[in-house]
Amino acid sequence: MEYIVEKIGMSRTIGTASTAVTLLKVLDMKVCELNENGSALVAYAKSKKSNKPIEGQQKKYELSKEFNKFVTLNVANSEAGALDMAPLAAAKEVKAQFNTKGRGFTGVMKRWNFAGGPGAHGHRFHRTSGSIGNREWPGKVQKGRKMSGQYGNEKVTVHNDVISFDPESMVLVLKGSVSGANGAMGRIKVVK
Amino acid sequence: MRNKYIESFEAAQIAQKQVPEFKAGDTIRLAINIKEGDKSRVQNFEGICIAIRGEGTGKSFIVRKMGANNIGVERIFPLYSESLVSVEVLRRGRVRRAKLFYLRELRGKKARITELRRK
Repeated sequence: MEYIVEKIGMSRTIGTASTAVTLLKVLDMKVCELNENGSALVAYAKSKKSNKPIEGQQKKYELSKEFNKFVTLNVANSEAGALDMAPLAAAKEVKAQFNTKGRGFTGVMKRWNFAGGPGAHGHRFHRTSGSIGNREWPGKVQKGRKMSGQYGNEKVTVHNDVISFDPESMVLVLKGSVSGANGAMGRIKVVK
Repeated sequence: MRNKYIESFEAAQIAQKQVPEFKAGDTIRLAINIKEGDKSRVQNFEGICIAIRGEGTGKSFIVRKMGANNIGVERIFPLYSESLVSVEVLRRGRVRRAKLFYLRELRGKKARITELRRK
């Protein structure tokens, strides 16, 4: 069973075994249409964006104005309507899938933890990647060579224990951390 | 300002805990539960609180005392630590700053803190 969540931020518990926790807000979701394989078209609200295709979908499924995002999720529902939260209330472990913070075009020291060179005393090898190839043989750069480039903003899934879930405020508390900035949207999948 | 969900999550945990209010400059006595194997005992630690840090469940404080041979001893505790049996405020100090790290450089009479006089 999958849910769309928004990362609220991190905190910790008190006690001798104090654990770092991540708070996630489970968004209000509406099941629009069920597919045969247990998945469904689900609508949720994100920003205030609206256009004609969105309005058309809202009209078709009789949704209110704020439900402007549509996604296919595995759901426990047997009919369209509000999303069934029962599997989440009973969950012990979840997989949380978020995009990591985007760092843009990044050098090799930050992206791949290369050591770099001395900063001064006549050196010219500061933060550069250095040699990337061999000699006349093999005469090419090996595949998978670690170089500078886009770092971050990629999908990362982590496996977390569930500490608590409050159905009233819809706040899910996970043990440990998840990727991404506070306020970022991601999806969680109930494992156990 | 902290997020309201984080605040309510932390407030729910802190609600049962009872810790007296104290500031930097106050002399406090801590009863610390020490576990040794399967036995546990309570040890007291008395000194001046020189700093309070953080907020919510992560709030912590530093207590400094002069140990044997005039060697300064500092201990840091989470305010809501399970190993703190009790926290007792013995004396309110009159200080002008929130962090008293200058005490680390001072010895003897110069490292005293005058008692706060209430009007």
